[in-house]
Amino acid sequence: MGLAAIAMVAVLSSCGKKPQAEIDSANAAIEAAKTAEANVYLPAEFTALQDSLNAVMADITAQESKLFKKFGPAKEKLAAVVTQANQLTESAATKKEEVKAEVTNLLGSIKAVTEENSKLIPKLPRGKEGAAVIEQIKADVATVDASIVEAQGLSDKGSYMDALNKIKAAKDKADSLNAEIKEALTKARIKF
Amino acid sequence: MRLKRAGKTVIGSLFLVAVTGSCILLLSRLAPKPPQAEVEFARLALSQAASNDAGTYSRRQYNEARALYDSAMTGWQAENKRFLYFRNFDKTAGFARLSAKKAAEAMENSKLNTSSLEKTIKLKIDTLNALILRIDKVFKAYPLPPEIWNRISRGKMLLRESEIAFEKGQYLQANKHITDSEYLLTASYEKASMDLKEYFDNFPVWQRWVEKTILESRKNRSYSIIIDKFSRKCIVYLGGVRKLEYNVELGTNWVGDKRVRGDKATPEGMYRISKKFNNNHTKYYKALLLDYPNEFDKAEFVKEIAQGTLPRNAKMGSLIEIHGNGGKGVDWTEGCVALIDSEMDVIFKLVREGTLVTIVGSTIGLKQVLD
Repeated sequence: MGLAAIAMVAVLSSCGKKPQAEIDSANAAIEAAKTAEANVYLPAEFTALQDSLNAVMADITAQESKLFKKFGPAKEKLAAVVTQANQLTESAATKKEEVKAEVTNLLGSIKAVTEENSKLIPKLPRGKEGAAVIEQIKADVATVDASIVEAQGLSDKGSYMDALNKIKAAKDKADSLNAEIKEALTKARIKF
Repeated sequence: MRLKRAGKTVIGSLFLVAVTGSCILLLSRLAPKPPQAEVEFARLALSQAASNDAGTYSRRQYNEARALYDSAMTGWQAENKRFLYFRNFDKTAGFARLSAKKAAEAMENSKLNTSSLEKTIKLKIDTLNALILRIDKVFKAYPLPPEIWNRISRGKMLLRESEIAFEKGQYLQANKHITDSEYLLTASYEKASMDLKEYFDNFPVWQRWVEKTILESRKNRSYSIIIDKFSRKCIVYLGGVRKLEYNVELGTNWVGDKRVRGDKATPEGMYRISKKFNNNHTKYYKALLLDYPNEFDKAEFVKEIAQGTLPRNAKMGSLIEIHGNGGKGVDWTEGCVALIDSEMDVIFKLVREGTLVTIVGSTIGLKQVLD
């Protein structure tokens, strides 16, 4: 009779097994989201995802403390975390592609502007040679060129967010330089 | 009898199971409770801290809070492995409480750091944009060494990168760029100012020339002209009062005094109009020939030849004029002063041969220029 009671306790207390496979799946899905740089492209969503997993893990540990364990709800939550992580992986990839496309577009359009600038600079008034303004324009052209190289390097490495800031700044400068050169040519009545 | 005995056994067993179950339930109630509420509170605090970018702007405290949370969870899991009544969750609860406290501190710190960083960067962006405006205004036409322009240009680019990062709320990146930009721009500005200081060494002499010119205009109730090379202005005085002000263009190598023929420099000194040329007698749109070189210029030229700072076969410049055909927006003359034709018409009518024309490096001092 005593044995029967002990057996009953043992059965009741071990009726729920820790959902290790589901935990591993959730961790793997979060790791995949991180590999897709969700923490870079969608940081707020990634933080929320990690918090969801933390909450489930706390629930599981709480169940483990109990005499009569029940992991059913935790399994459902883990499945939801996996779904959420997979969606985030996809969204991050989409966002990354968008940023990459923006960088590629800007790299293309800035090259068109710098080519035009290079063609226009020799047309600037001869009197400008040796003058301060031509030195400034030369310095700005060199800086824009260096920024394009840096941005291209970052883009090649896949650091599209960093490349985007750099190429945006370079594009602004190239455009303002283009306007400045055209204004100088117009003022000097030189056709371009 | 047998039935009676069997009945007694079943009743006895049921009684024993009931007693055992009750004991287990009772003892499980008496067993130490896990710190679920404390851990949940810590997790929420961490989540809030993360949402407030504590991982970025209060990294050390946030990482400490995370480590404490992990310790709480590890401790809890370790206690779960022990027999129900031998568990002790005190440490776990302690770690959880500390984690929540640290997370709250990290969040507050992050908010403060973010706000402070935002203000600092905004202030630096405004200050550096003002500095760029000043550099563009003061040095736009001043021939600084190319390496200074390169540094200024790089500083401007970094400032723009900082502005872009700032607009996106990426304060750490913005701060890095603004710090680099600040270094480049302020150092370049200081270097450029030192360069300009040399140009202004002659300012006391220019000041005396300007005073004399205005005084003569006042005394004789006549027109006098002052050419300010630095601000590229032609200022016309009548009776000692400033009447007109026009923009001018100078020689391509306008910094410093004219020393030799072909140096494309605009001379500095007090001259008189020696001849007025109408359109038929000059290749430019009207011209006012100055009596350059004057006695002082000649003496300086001879001195430079004697000292060997000019070659023996060097020749003195001449034919310095105020003429039309200006408005190109650049310094393009061989050393003359060019105005746009309509303004040349006005000046040509006002002045006569003998009118005083004073050409100075600047009519205002360096401090005023930089301010």
